[in-house]
Amino acid sequence: MTKMITIDAYCVLGVDREYDLTEASLLRSMDDARVERAVIASPDRYLAVLNRQGNETLLDAASRHPTRFIPSCSVNPWFDADARAELRACAEQGARLLVLHPYVQGYSANDDLVWPLLEEADQFHLPVYIHTGPPGNATPWQVVDLAERFVEVDFIIGHCGATDFWNDMPFAAAAAPNLYFESSLARPFQFARYVKSVGADRGIVGSFAPISGLRFEWEQMRRMLPPKEYPDVYGLNLKRLLDKGRSS
Amino acid sequence: MITDCHVHWSSPEAPLAATDPSRLLGELDRHGIGRAVLMPNLGLMRADACRAENDDLAAVMAQAPGRILSVGTSWPKQGAEAIEEARRCLADLGLKGLKYHPWVQGFSTADPTFAEICRVAARFDAPLIFHDGTPCYCTSEQIAGLARRFPETTFVLGHSGILWNWRSALEASRWPNIWPCLCSPHIRAVETFAKQARTDRLLWGSDWTGRPGPGADGSIEYRLGVVLEAQMDEETRRSILSDNAACLFPYR
Repeated sequence: MTKMITIDAYCVLGVDREYDLTEASLLRSMDDARVERAVIASPDRYLAVLNRQGNETLLDAASRHPTRFIPSCSVNPWFDADARAELRACAEQGARLLVLHPYVQGYSANDDLVWPLLEEADQFHLPVYIHTGPPGNATPWQVVDLAERFVEVDFIIGHCGATDFWNDMPFAAAAAPNLYFESSLARPFQFARYVKSVGADRGIVGSFAPISGLRFEWEQMRRMLPPKEYPDVYGLNLKRLLDKGRSS
Repeated sequence: MITDCHVHWSSPEAPLAATDPSRLLGELDRHGIGRAVLMPNLGLMRADACRAENDDLAAVMAQAPGRILSVGTSWPKQGAEAIEEARRCLADLGLKGLKYHPWVQGFSTADPTFAEICRVAARFDAPLIFHDGTPCYCTSEQIAGLARRFPETTFVLGHSGILWNWRSALEASRWPNIWPCLCSPHIRAVETFAKQARTDRLLWGSDWTGRPGPGADGSIEYRLGVVLEAQMDEETRRSILSDNAACLFPYR
């Protein structure tokens, strides 16, 4: 029997505008919520423009807490060759997941602008987390386009298109085998519906702390999807994706 | 007394017994909620269900005096018929406001018929509650555009920008005739509203729809939990959950 593991798929480490999560406060929240590990990502400014600074912060934090933090990285595709080089550097330094945020970074999710980055992600076996939701340049079906073009890359539909693209989710998330969906902002009562309709092997729990409360989100989720019945969504699905890069 | 300012009646997946409020009242009791502002659901999705559901909503309100405050809707694309139905809701049925979902109902806030509905609402001192936060007909800025054009009409942002557009709703809330309902923004946005918006116009809602199955009632527990968990002073929390709604929807 596979050992249960708890991983929060998306926590934003850093202090900027509405973000205020330090390493210490994140660790405290994880302990309070009985969460073993967390993928750490950068605040918006570092996703949009200050990629290197953000990525360095994440890699440094993860090196200080290697058993708790899993570093993601992000690059803005508008930086072209520099973005590609930065992504390669991050992967070589230990980043485990690529974060794209089309709304904040300024393009449509299925724009060919991102294809070079997905080629790199493919090479390093990095899963790609894409923030989705209104206003409409990052929707579940746009992620499906990418999943069909890059069949070896695993894509995580961040926030399940919350809220207005919720109708699309049961069909979009099931449209390709390399698609997964993450719970933050989607609300536990809605996420549970996707898990039950698309499959428990595709759902991934994340909190988007500190935008949402880490402990609160996990408590609500555990009430909605009992961990004993749905152990995969609490960490095993994500671990499987993250470990692909390690085993290659 | 907590007021849930965003509750829907009769979802297509789970039509509630036509005018029996007992299930809804049971849910409100279970969560310690004193009053609910009850809106159409089927009537927002189907023009042919609108009039009958408005009648049902009036009947439900009559069965739960002081606890359920119903609002109706009409379909602006139907022109004069929509204006008359808006008037009927407020004058004949005694409903407490009108709810519109321009995205689902397929009309622009710039629709000339809707301008007349705004005037009707002002005449009855009845708030217009909107779905907001969604392009291309439901952005908070578009509702703020109406607030500028119709200063005598009261507008409620039913979702305060939902998730990604909460900053738009915060900006819209500077208009004195706009009331943001914190129904859907994440906890950090709720905290920011509590700090930066006028706290005497903030409302709370769950978007309960009475859908069946597991998690059916999760929306009340979750969204009430967001406001209870959010960091703010207790006076502001009380304003959001109860005092402000009592001002906008006085029981009379």
